[in-house]
Amino acid sequence: MADDGQESEVFEITDFTTASDWERFIARLEEVMHDWKLPTLKRNPPVKKGEYTIGSWKEKSANVRYANFTFTITEYKLKQEYNEKDLTLDDEESEDILPEAVEDLMMMENDFPPRAHCLCRWFGLRHFLVLSPAAHSDAVISESRIRILQSSVSIAISNTSCQIPVFVQVQQKWRRMYVGQCEGPGMRTSFDMVHLKKIPHQFNHLAGLLGVFKSKISTPVSSPPPVSVAVRFTYILQDWTNYSWPQLPPDFDAPSGSEVGNSGFGKLPFGAVEDPVSELHLATTWPSLSEDMIVDNDVYSDLDPIQAPQWSVRIRMMEKPQCLLGEYLGDFGKLCKRSESVEQLLGRSFYQDDSDTADISQALQRLTEPVPMHIPTLSSVVTRARTRMHHKKQMEEEPIPGDILNEILQFLFPDAGLIACIRRWSCCIFLLPLTLLQSGAPCLGSCLLHQKLQMLNCCIARKIARENTSMSQSSSAVSLGTNIQPSLSSNSFLPASLSQASFGGSDRGSLASSPSNKDEDEDDDEFFECDEDPEEGENEKVGEEELAAAGNSQDVEMEDVEEKDKIERTEKEEKEKPEKTSDDSSPDEIAFRDTVVYQPEGRLRQCGDLTLICNDDELLYIPITQDPAPMTEDQLEEHATVLAELGTSEEGAELRARMQSACLLSDMEAFKAANPGCMLEDFVRWYSPRDYIEDDDSCNTPHPDMNEEDRDRMKKGKLSSRMMIPGNMWQEVWSQAKPVPARRQKRLFDDTKEAEKVLHYLASLKPAEVALHLMPMLIHAAIIRIQHIEIEGLPSLTSLMTQITQRASKLTRMGSTDIKKYEEVIKQIELAEVVIARAQSLRAKFSQQVLEDDDKQTELEKFVSSLLEQPEVSVLGAGRGPAGTILHRLFAAAQRSANMLPSEEELLADDDVVDHASQSSSVSVKDFPRPAGKEFILRTRVQRPTSYSRALPQRLFCVLMNNDFRLAGAFSEDTTFF
Amino acid sequence: MMNEDEVLTTLKILIIGESGVGKSSLLLRFTDDTFDPEQPATIGVDFKVKTLSVEGNTTKLAIWDTAGQERFRTLTPSYYRGAQGVILVYDVSNRKSFQKLDMWLNELETFSTKSDIVKMLVGNKIDMDKREVDRQEGLKFARKHAMLFIEASAKTKEGVQVAFEELVEKVIQTPGLWENDSRGGMSLNDRGNQSVSQGCGGYCSLL
Ligand SMILES: Nc1nc2c(ncn2[C@@H]2O[C@H](COP(=O)(O)OP(=O)(O)O)[C@@H](O)[C@H]2O)c(=O)[nH]1
Ligand SMILES: [Mg+2]
Repeated sequence: MADDGQESEVFEITDFTTASDWERFIARLEEVMHDWKLPTLKRNPPVKKGEYTIGSWKEKSANVRYANFTFTITEYKLKQEYNEKDLTLDDEESEDILPEAVEDLMMMENDFPPRAHCLCRWFGLRHFLVLSPAAHSDAVISESRIRILQSSVSIAISNTSCQIPVFVQVQQKWRRMYVGQCEGPGMRTSFDMVHLKKIPHQFNHLAGLLGVFKSKISTPVSSPPPVSVAVRFTYILQDWTNYSWPQLPPDFDAPSGSEVGNSGFGKLPFGAVEDPVSELHLATTWPSLSEDMIVDNDVYSDLDPIQAPQWSVRIRMMEKPQCLLGEYLGDFGKLCKRSESVEQLLGRSFYQDDSDTADISQALQRLTEPVPMHIPTLSSVVTRARTRMHHKKQMEEEPIPGDILNEILQFLFPDAGLIACIRRWSCCIFLLPLTLLQSGAPCLGSCLLHQKLQMLNCCIARKIARENTSMSQSSSAVSLGTNIQPSLSSNSFLPASLSQASFGGSDRGSLASSPSNKDEDEDDDEFFECDEDPEEGENEKVGEEELAAAGNSQDVEMEDVEEKDKIERTEKEEKEKPEKTSDDSSPDEIAFRDTVVYQPEGRLRQCGDLTLICNDDELLYIPITQDPAPMTEDQLEEHATVLAELGTSEEGAELRARMQSACLLSDMEAFKAANPGCMLEDFVRWYSPRDYIEDDDSCNTPHPDMNEEDRDRMKKGKLSSRMMIPGNMWQEVWSQAKPVPARRQKRLFDDTKEAEKVLHYLASLKPAEVALHLMPMLIHAAIIRIQHIEIEGLPSLTSLMTQITQRASKLTRMGSTDIKKYEEVIKQIELAEVVIARAQSLRAKFSQQVLEDDDKQTELEKFVSSLLEQPEVSVLGAGRGPAGTILHRLFAAAQRSANMLPSEEELLADDDVVDHASQSSSVSVKDFPRPAGKEFILRTRVQRPTSYSRALPQRLFCVLMNNDFRLAGAFSEDTTFF
Repeated sequence: MMNEDEVLTTLKILIIGESGVGKSSLLLRFTDDTFDPEQPATIGVDFKVKTLSVEGNTTKLAIWDTAGQERFRTLTPSYYRGAQGVILVYDVSNRKSFQKLDMWLNELETFSTKSDIVKMLVGNKIDMDKREVDRQEGLKFARKHAMLFIEASAKTKEGVQVAFEELVEKVIQTPGLWENDSRGGMSLNDRGNQSVSQGCGGYCSLL
């Protein structure tokens, strides 16, 4: 035997090699007890009221083998929170001090906990061990085995002086049968129980139970103290007679879903379809009686629920009531996990009769083509699809499990069949962008799918704009051409390539001579076309030159006038100040100005009131520039990756800058076109003003009265040092830039190519991916749906909603494509829906009767709110309080309806009824049904086994239910004086 | 150098602010500990990497330097995506650059994908004689917008290293910002928990 483990270790080797299974089993039990430090445990202060339910319980398990049989030993312990000062310093190992567990038997603060481990409920324990077969199906049934286990435990606890009670679970696990023991100094408590299916007739009342208790104690004391009794009867209310759940199941076939649950397309379905509240349990408690005070036997009972001093209510909710929104989201979530492609779902033939739709490169063409629309109208598509669908069904098995895709499509197109929907999806996807979406570059705050559609929209818009301009351009080019005088040949300022007549830098240079018969296609792909109209609101700022340059066919005539006007004006100006020109300007400047006489093009508006540095008669203009290439977030990411991959070396950095300089070049060219005779300094003043350093005391606004010197000084300034570094990229790009207005530049954004990319992307999306992309919107919509429900006073809902919103916003901001993450949010949304349904149901049930007194009304509301938040709520004033009154009525009504009696209202409606009270008393039905459960706790402190033994705690817990009768007894005896 | 696999995490940091306030210079000072008076004006965005050890955690910083010019700004929003920290720079010798801070914060708010991105305000060029924004103003702004704040000079290196370190530390301390947030949500109170049929492993109520 491995006894005295600790002490003997020092002197001798403990030899387990010859130990029996039994010895090893006990040794292992002791080892676990030591490991868990049970023998040296400090005492805790007494448990506070309600702590068993509110506090948290710690569990710890270990496996223990007996031969081939594995047991699990589990420690259950209430985590008590207390200050050190609450601890009473007990005298070391005082003989009189009973184990904590034995004291717990007598404590009344935590009788009938709403929720607890059964051993805690039956014996009032805060800390205990359970030894049970590890496998669920295993059971210890034979008497001899039970005895072996008990004696093993007994040896282990006395060897370790562990004072924690240890239980052995016997019989089938579902029977919850335990035998246990607890040892303290000079005493022992045995725990035992009886479990029967039927309540023996003689034990159906307190009197009988007291009899069992006393005979079991069989104290030799002649007049033992009276037994203290705690009683609780529980009544169940299932029939909410006058309140039925209003939610109707949704009718998806209805033309305009106006029912409670489903409010049609655009609003998600919401609400429980069944009453989430299934039962109400009313517990009526007599917490502390003495056996002499009360009579409860087979003929008479003092235990009238209405008189019980304590009432408490528990609501039993449906585990998972069927809820529309949650179901909807869940199904949608499932869609996201499907792996089939559209093709797989519909079969290849789907694409065949409309092979041109599949040809993506033509799609954009078709979208932007003006009047004769090739895209079939929706109704024709649907009709065709419907006939196809019938046709298909006859020929082959339907390739798609019908319900799967239905939901997503229901969402998108709520009124059509499945295949029609997919067809429509494929067709509509091309129409949607034009009609529904906000125009402009993809909004990065939206989901990728939306961005892609916006991108498509962008491409379409740009292509249409391009075609319009080029059409009008070609018609107006003649008139425009006459005004262009490309006499740049000898200009040293401009790069060599520009010194030729073709300053357009391409065959566009022949614009003046062969204006109208351009090849449209080439036009399309090469050049950027600006909007003819600059942004609204800036119209008034637009210079006349700009209008002239815009080349709108309607303005052709006006343009001509403008151009003439301008030329005249310039000539006039020249005439007005001839001396000045010759006096002020350096010879260089004169030469420059004289040669740069090309017509400015592509002006957007004046840049403040800046003038050219070399010619303060010429205003500085901001050019019309190419719009930046719109990008969707995945493209941006790709772009960033490419840039990052260039590395951090100097070369890498330069390459990176070079890659991004296309936009700079384009802007510079447009600037040059708009400002003939400009310099890099001019450009920088517009583009990066902080890189142009004006000399001190120069003021920005030229004043007409200024004398020559002032003007001169005003213009002084220089580029920042970083812009002046020889060969820096800004200078380099500037020197390469030709004066080309944006609309004749090579396009930075190839709408055709980009549109094709988008279409390819969309075409390759699997239905599941589409669903996943729609998830953020769906979740957003779901949250909004919930927020529209006006329901107050539910702190748990409020915090749940905050949590959901935070989580969802985080998730969607990240652009997560992890369906699992979404499913977590969906679960929470489901939960919120259930919480709301519960609240609505309970409130409706309890607001049937309006109470005359405001205070009482408030109290009732508080009571209902607590029911939702807490597992068990005590009823203020028990049967006589406002909530108690309503509960009483609810039970009474259920009783009447159960007995097919007229309801209270019906009785009152009878004119000849004299008095309500007498009426109801004349009906011999009690207001409460038979209790569904009766619990009794009998306690006493009495000497056992002899009259000179110590008086020790004895307890019997009895529960009487319809088909469950249990007595759980704890009987203590003195082991010193017996 | 740090071993690659010791790297705890890679953080994405962004530097924004008006052009010419010294963003690129601050970054160069931080990564290479030099000051280049001939630092070219950034075109679009630039990118540098540096490994940094804060409180024993080795982090790799991927730092995106942006051009502040209006025209380039249309490009930059993409670089806000997924950034955990941002350094917003102004020039203490230029009031205009300070006045533009609100606009930059606005942009940040619009484009950043992390709602709890750590923001640091840096007042650069404190070596300059001509000061137009005093420290108090910077402090006040930072407090108002819940930012870290420091004044620095890329030229004299004052405050540069510590600014980056401070930012990284804060990012690491912010739960859920750099690691995948795995905190579970609330579950409904245990009322659904009914008595378990086998044994009493669970906690149960009477009925
Ligand atoms: N005196 C001084 N000048 C600085 C400092 N930081 C940058 N600069 C100068 O300010 C100008 C702009 O710097 P840069 O880093 O390119 O600014 P960015 O446009 O914000 O990237 C350059 O001429 C730098 O030399 C500084 O701390 N002190
Ligand atoms: Mg820079």
